Amino acid sequence: MTLSLMNKVTLILGVPFVALTGVHGAETPAPAKVSFNRDIRPIMSDTCFHCHGFDANTREAGLRLDIREEAIKETEDGVLAIVPGEPDKSEIIIRIFDEGDPMPPDKAHKPFTPEQKELFRRWVAEGAEYEPHWSYAELKKPELPKTEAASGNPIDAFIRAELAEKKLSLSPSAAPQVLARRLSLDLTGLPLGGETVAVDYEAQVDSLLASPHFGERMAVWWLDIARFADTVGFHGDQNQRIFPYRDYVIDAFHKNKPFDVFTREQLAGDLLPEPTKEQLTATGYNRLNMMTREGGAQPKEYLSKYGAERVRSVSAAWFGSTFGCAECHDHKFDPIKASDFYEMQSFFADVKQWGVYADYGYTPEPELKGVNNDSPFPPEIEVESPWLKRQHHLAGEALDRLLAETSASLQSDAKLIAARDEWEKGLAPFLKSHTDGWLTPAPLEGKILKDGKPVADRSPAVATTGAIAADKALGRGESLEVTLDPAGLSTLASVQLGIEKGELDAKTMADRAGKALTFSLAIRDSKGAVKKLSIRHAEATAKRPVFRGGGEVIGVQSEWRLPAVLSVEEPLRSVWLVSEPVKLSEGDRIVATLGGDNLLPVKLSLSPLAALEPLETAASKTLVALAAATRDAEAVGLVDTAFLFSTAADRAAYDAAHQLAAKQREFREGKAWTMVTLPTDKPLEVRVLPRGNWQDETGPVVLPSTPSFLPGRLESTPEKRLTRLDLANWITSDANPITSRAVMNRLWAMFFGTGLSAVIDDLGSQGELPSHPELLDWLAFEFRESGWDLQHMVRLIVTSETYRQSSNLRPELKDADPANRLLASQNPRRLEAEFVRDNALSIAGLLNLDDIGGPSVKPYQPAGYYEALQFPNRDYVADTDARQWRRGVYTHWQRTFLHPMMANFDAPARDECAAARVNSNTPQQALTLLNDPAFVEAARGLAARLLGDQRAKTDPERITAAYRIALNREPAAREVEALTAFLKTQQDHFSAAPEEAEKLLAIGLSPPSGLEPSLHASWTQLARVLLNAHETITRY
Amino acid sequence: MSPFHSHFEALRVNRRSFLQQSSYGLGGLAMAMLHQKGSAATADLAKPDDWKGALKAPHSPVKAKRVIFLCMAGGPSQYETFDWKPELKKLHDQAFPESFTKGQQLAQLQGAQLKARGSFTDFRKHGQSGIEVSDLFPEIAKQADKLCVIRSMQTEQINHDTAHAFMNTGSIIKGRPSMGSWLTYGLGSETEDLPGFIVLTSAGKHGQQPISARQWSSGVLPSRFQGIQFQSKGDAVHYIGNPDGVCQSTQRQVIEEIQRLNGFLAEEQNDPEIATRISQYEMAFKMQSSVPELTDFSAESQATLDRYGVKEPGDGSFASNCLLARRLAERGVRMIQLYHRAWDHHSQIEEGMKDGASTVDGPTAALLQDLEERGLLEDTLVLWGGEFGRTPMGQGSGRDHHILSFSVFMAGGGIKPGTTWGSTDELGYRAVEDVVSVHDLHATMLSLLGIDHHRLTTKFQGLDVRLTGVGGNLVRGIVA
Repeated sequence: MTLSLMNKVTLILGVPFVALTGVHGAETPAPAKVSFNRDIRPIMSDTCFHCHGFDANTREAGLRLDIREEAIKETEDGVLAIVPGEPDKSEIIIRIFDEGDPMPPDKAHKPFTPEQKELFRRWVAEGAEYEPHWSYAELKKPELPKTEAASGNPIDAFIRAELAEKKLSLSPSAAPQVLARRLSLDLTGLPLGGETVAVDYEAQVDSLLASPHFGERMAVWWLDIARFADTVGFHGDQNQRIFPYRDYVIDAFHKNKPFDVFTREQLAGDLLPEPTKEQLTATGYNRLNMMTREGGAQPKEYLSKYGAERVRSVSAAWFGSTFGCAECHDHKFDPIKASDFYEMQSFFADVKQWGVYADYGYTPEPELKGVNNDSPFPPEIEVESPWLKRQHHLAGEALDRLLAETSASLQSDAKLIAARDEWEKGLAPFLKSHTDGWLTPAPLEGKILKDGKPVADRSPAVATTGAIAADKALGRGESLEVTLDPAGLSTLASVQLGIEKGELDAKTMADRAGKALTFSLAIRDSKGAVKKLSIRHAEATAKRPVFRGGGEVIGVQSEWRLPAVLSVEEPLRSVWLVSEPVKLSEGDRIVATLGGDNLLPVKLSLSPLAALEPLETAASKTLVALAAATRDAEAVGLVDTAFLFSTAADRAAYDAAHQLAAKQREFREGKAWTMVTLPTDKPLEVRVLPRGNWQDETGPVVLPSTPSFLPGRLESTPEKRLTRLDLANWITSDANPITSRAVMNRLWAMFFGTGLSAVIDDLGSQGELPSHPELLDWLAFEFRESGWDLQHMVRLIVTSETYRQSSNLRPELKDADPANRLLASQNPRRLEAEFVRDNALSIAGLLNLDDIGGPSVKPYQPAGYYEALQFPNRDYVADTDARQWRRGVYTHWQRTFLHPMMANFDAPARDECAAARVNSNTPQQALTLLNDPAFVEAARGLAARLLGDQRAKTDPERITAAYRIALNREPAAREVEALTAFLKTQQDHFSAAPEEAEKLLAIGLSPPSGLEPSLHASWTQLARVLLNAHETITRY
Repeated sequence: MSPFHSHFEALRVNRRSFLQQSSYGLGGLAMAMLHQKGSAATADLAKPDDWKGALKAPHSPVKAKRVIFLCMAGGPSQYETFDWKPELKKLHDQAFPESFTKGQQLAQLQGAQLKARGSFTDFRKHGQSGIEVSDLFPEIAKQADKLCVIRSMQTEQINHDTAHAFMNTGSIIKGRPSMGSWLTYGLGSETEDLPGFIVLTSAGKHGQQPISARQWSSGVLPSRFQGIQFQSKGDAVHYIGNPDGVCQSTQRQVIEEIQRLNGFLAEEQNDPEIATRISQYEMAFKMQSSVPELTDFSAESQATLDRYGVKEPGDGSFASNCLLARRLAERGVRMIQLYHRAWDHHSQIEEGMKDGASTVDGPTAALLQDLEERGLLEDTLVLWGGEFGRTPMGQGSGRDHHILSFSVFMAGGGIKPGTTWGSTDELGYRAVEDVVSVHDLHATMLSLLGIDHHRLTTKFQGLDVRLTGVGGNLVRGIVA
């Protein structure tokens, strides 16, 4: 059962919680005055407003009950619905009690309970007073209640005051070790790690708040709200480039960025004066709506879907309100009008995006020319990623170390020295006659092939410069084969394709720009035998990017796409490194095969030299060093490096260097692309769409305005159109009462399991009056007054006595307050999906906490899970390095097929704003913890950790250590006893079946421990038990 | 009985007493309140898995207990399945009359010259009922007297993703529960060892389109009601297999030990989630044996395998999935949904339809017959159809998406057999007689399962969310 269902149930009953406890409480005091907001509005909202509320189109009998003036006025039919003070003359009371013709009518299936009927009668008798809806009312600082509170924390004053009224009191503080674990899990999503350090509680709060892991923890909260995901969600669910936004959010919470700034940057960072890259990255928020590239989709329809989603998500995130219904009609239960919906949408009409991210024939989008299923989703900017930068730097250091070692061995290794000297000697004559290091032979032969066979009547054109081109555009299966004589070369290390200036006139160049070229290479020996050569890596001086899975392909791989604009002045070249340099024999011929749609003449050159980076091949400084009679240290290094990569004589070093370089390139010099908001000066026209129908253009055009039902409304005029920045400023202004209430209510839920108003995604009239309205207002006011200081609010909450109470509900409270809304106790809470993972990996000693941010990672995932994904087809490849053990917040978020572990533990797909996670308890969770390789591996890790602990020598000592690590407490005697007995059964089993032990220990990519297998396996089983224990995944 | 069992029994008692005392836990409270309200059936609260559904009693006579939805993903052409349009064939390759298409939404044919495309196949009347079925489906045709063909379907969404969402959840807003989730929420399940809502997928050679796990999401309903997708590779259900090196008896020992620790905890800590957790581990362990038993076809006769056309049991083919569907129906699974991704024929419709039909025809017919022979068809509702239809206008060698007319068929539980319902205009462009919307289809299906679609609701963001949105009319004419 879930919290959210409870909320639903409360509402089904139509009785607000406070009233319920009044009914069921141990002693019922003389009834207090009926409160409209607490007692009457929720019932009216649930049952009356549908026909007698805000929406004029569905109003019946001309009666409107949401406004007092209307409700007490005589209707056109001469009916007096409410006569204040006189229930017996009030039509609504008469009808409520009329069993023959009751209100609400039977067909509504919402009969009143006797208690509800009585409440209504009393309310009318007491004068039928209305109150403005609590969350829309002006925010004022409430008086602190007078209590004997010892803590001085205002939170405790409010909670104690309410409890005192019910003759209840707070529970005692949780035991220090329980509290320390609770705090750590709440503030960082991480356990304490077994090292129980006696620190002062407040000091622990400070140190956890200062930790970057606090930023990661809070990000999980906000990323649900911002609907952050790595894929677009609709149809092909392609990858989108957005992880820097996630890192922005982590950093914002870590640095305690004021929430008003945080709001402004996300909604309107691009509209700030001279926005920084950070502020632009934040505007990725506006781009996180789902997007499509489906063939046949109509851009206008999808722009309308995106616009509507944005209203739902923004209003949920910042107003805790549901604008959704107002897409089709005025809200029935709230004063939210359809015009409010579209006016809100209109704020975002300038966000540049496309309805369909492709250039299909039926709807040409010239700006998206060439976009395919592998392409990203513009607009984007390139930013620096600290994680990528660090990795790039680390990989560079490793490479430098390797090259230094190689150079050193060339000073000492006689065999290598001899090989280098001989290489130099052999190379000298070639370099003398080819001073640029390249041989450009005239083609011996050129053929047009179709499916590998020559086409009889066609032959390529060869220019005087030796450049060669196909006679006309190559068709499907056609290619151009060129044979070259490598005379004078003893080794082939690299090939260059050049497109040189002066080959063609400017117009022809322009016509032929933007084409692509493929290349493959073979050697034909004097006997005619052909050997294909593979290419290790290639790069070009200029190219159009090629994308795969939404990311840019590194270097030139399958094809070299020529730039969209070609200049006759700037020659282009690409250099292709032969997989390893190959020795040539007399009579060998080089056979190059060119494909693609390129028609420009291509000049082929060959070199005996190669560098680690293709374009560095035959660099002038290397040529100078090679030619020099005497060399300084730098020149020696250049020659040694050229020798290594041109010969692969030191094969191990050659391979290692290339691998390191390939890895380093993946980090893209620390740069990454991220989707941002780019404002257009031609905002889309936004109309009120009758019934939400995007094809209906009869509704009025609207301009941006803040919601009509909230104070301090700002409206656009034809002269002055309000912007997203105006919206953001208004949201965080003193005029707006709802945002700080919504945020504080959600924050409260993070630490107590439920919000002060339990329906945290609806603070409107269908929601719930807060259990402690004054406390919520006090928090909201304090939040705003503190300069939107979130860490200040978190500190206030976690240092309160209310937070620090034991979560073990006292028996006497079960009846007095069954849902614990009065908070005479803490609530236990199962960890969120990400922290279930983090907790287990941390206990195992596997969790990678050194890394913060960076591209999303891929933990183990069952094979074939993406089988139903297409455009493009997807193959999930789990990370094999330190990325495998990163925190859950970094998991690749595939909207249509969320990682099963995440989905099983209730992480939302984030298709839209998800302000409240459900908290379920299912067999899938048990199966995940039992059998997901990530958790089995974690158990293996914990087992190794325990067996390696020199301080724990005996089984009971190790079990004790395990409890400290996993649960931050000492085990009870019966727990030690039970686990010792269990361990024995496992040891007996695995001693008899050592091959089973080996299999169990082979799960996961972390290195083997070297421990005795049956011992390690039996402790792994024990660790599995602990990692599956309810206590381990629960914060008490 | 193992020591664990006695312990477990003790906990069940504890759990019950928690709830009788109106325990503090929110979960417990919710259940208790549901009971006060009387809107939940008499679920055994000690066993949270034994959810008997939100309906206290059926709203209408129960004619079907479960649903098998053969979802022809991609949108098969009605002109080559069940809607015979001789006039369209006569008009083949000629301009399609603009009077039909003006102002209507098209997908990839936007702005194109519209030409009629007649059916490339012929139709014949079959059975006593004389239902017209295309020659591409000879086996289904033999079952004509079991079918109720609806030729007048319409939907609101013209692209695959959103059309699937609409067909499954009645809405395109994310987070709406799918049909199967509604059924398990409303009615519970008849099996304790298997999930109540199971999804199987297969794909053809032509016309594949992606689908999303969103289509079987429980949305705003608790996740226990979500569809569980069976995988064709590896474990049938994620994480159902023991880790390598751990046999079933050792796994049992691990689970018993987990239960023991959780039992200790329950004595120390007043938290009803502990008892729930214990029963979920029990359920998980049961699933670890029931799922392999379910997917093991060795007890099926060769004749059965042949009838369905199963070449390799459990190979993820439509044939194998149909047989699995019958086995799931036998075990009391409430909603069984098969996706066959093969019907998006923008081009090469002849090849595509022939391939799709030859894959689906035999197994579908075998499933209907087999269900009938086992006495299951009378209370199993079978639905066959796509998320939308295709245009009567050609698109190159294929047809585009179409929402104004398409055909589905139903059979079994409570459906009037041997009938056709509704019709389209002479060119099949638009459903004109007895139009059935997706909401109507949902309302009718729910009704056959004893549910008034107005009254199966859940609160979300202050709204009463239901499968049929704000629409839905019962199609009485197709109910037996």
